[in-house]
Amino acid sequence: MTMNDFNRDELRRALRDTADHRTDALGSIVEATRGLNFARSLSRRRFFLTGGATVSFAALVAACGGSESTGIARLGDAPTPNELVEADVTDVALLRTATSLEHNAIFVYEAAASAGVLSGDAAEIAKRFLDDHRAHAEATASLTRSLGGKAYTQPNPRLQSIYIEPALTLIVGDEANGVPATDDPAADVLALAYALETIAGATYQAYVPLLDDKSLRAAAMGIGDQEARHAALLGVVLNPDRLVSSMGLSIAVEYQEDTDTPAAAYASPSAFGTQAPVPVTLGAANESGIRTTVNLETPSLNSMVYEYLDAEG
Amino acid sequence: MSTTPVTKNSDKFATTPPRRPTSADVELLAFAQSAELTARDLYEQAVAAGAGGDHVASLVAVAAHHDAYAQSLSALLGTDAPQARNDALFSSLTSGFGANTESMALAAHELENTLVVTHTDLLGLLEGTEGAALVASILIGESRHCAAMAALAGKSPVSDIDLFLTTSDVVSLAPQA
Repeated sequence: MTMNDFNRDELRRALRDTADHRTDALGSIVEATRGLNFARSLSRRRFFLTGGATVSFAALVAACGGSESTGIARLGDAPTPNELVEADVTDVALLRTATSLEHNAIFVYEAAASAGVLSGDAAEIAKRFLDDHRAHAEATASLTRSLGGKAYTQPNPRLQSIYIEPALTLIVGDEANGVPATDDPAADVLALAYALETIAGATYQAYVPLLDDKSLRAAAMGIGDQEARHAALLGVVLNPDRLVSSMGLSIAVEYQEDTDTPAAAYASPSAFGTQAPVPVTLGAANESGIRTTVNLETPSLNSMVYEYLDAEG
Repeated sequence: MSTTPVTKNSDKFATTPPRRPTSADVELLAFAQSAELTARDLYEQAVAAGAGGDHVASLVAVAAHHDAYAQSLSALLGTDAPQARNDALFSSLTSGFGANTESMALAAHELENTLVVTHTDLLGLLEGTEGAALVASILIGESRHCAAMAALAGKSPVSDIDLFLTTSDVVSLAPQA
């Protein structure tokens, strides 16, 4: 008998054993649950009736997980797990991530400018915002260097791949993959910019309690202030009729909005700066008339630009 | 650049400043609470005088925002919260918060800018992270108020863009360290 024959025989035997276990256990379950109608709600009485099934499921789990059995099928080698890297959330990592987010914004405004999507007042506003983000990127890079770190100079790769690129694809379309272009690219770019600026402000806010150096907190919020104002200005442009949302406020009914659904943009959407995701609806409507909503969020731990990532290339 | 999965040490932040407000923080946060109560009273005065026009609901909401800030600071400070406005500050600004929407909005714009600059300075002084986080979230709200008040004053987001985006020449009210 060759080694291959041995392995095949072992495998067949293991599969047969497993099948036998499964048949025994399933047989108990079938017997225990016979006559039950799972489409109906599970009443207290029915809960007790199904107790037998629960026990049988437990038996199935136990049968599958038997540690003494040598009959469980095993084929090939398990992949070696990735070694997790030691990385702390330092002031440098936070500043590098902030810089990367500025470059995400720069990317969006540059893309919109080169595509000629915006015109007139909207184009002027976008140009000013682009200049501001370049200044912010230089400021956070300079702070990074002042702490002895290496400044980051690219868009955040994770945010770029999960938010920016899909959003821009919805706006410009992707014929090869059947994604039609949006009907109103200028409105979509402004909506994306509103969400992006809101998230940028929220990111600096989120970093305040994480920054060790008090002076860095003030510097970060000096930039966060500007991001929030960018978002607010776009809120004025997108929703000039209602500057400040009353959603969630306990104020007299006469001052409440006459809807339960907040508008897509406000100069001031809430009392406090929040860390909540910012939804932005983009792209062409599908056959049901529904457009895609992308939820933008502040960078998570997996989106941070740790210094060790530079070495990985 | 690679996007290696989350690190095993990622739940341990390298930075370890105190969480709760220090005794010095308490003074700063108490000052902030009295400033917020002052702002609330100024907006309420303007609404009562008839300011706002079509946007009166926005002014009522902003007054409620400042009240919410004061309440949150109170929750952090406990019995150390002053629970009273800064009368000197109120007196110096009260004439700007009258019935004329445009002039009131410009006064409110300056007040919000002043609060933003003040809170930014406070962030450079506060030790405890809970107080700093709260002040940062208030600051974001007030930054957005600045743009809202510029719009309410009838300013253009294009030709008057600096009024929306910069803090201009306001002076911080923050106590010195």
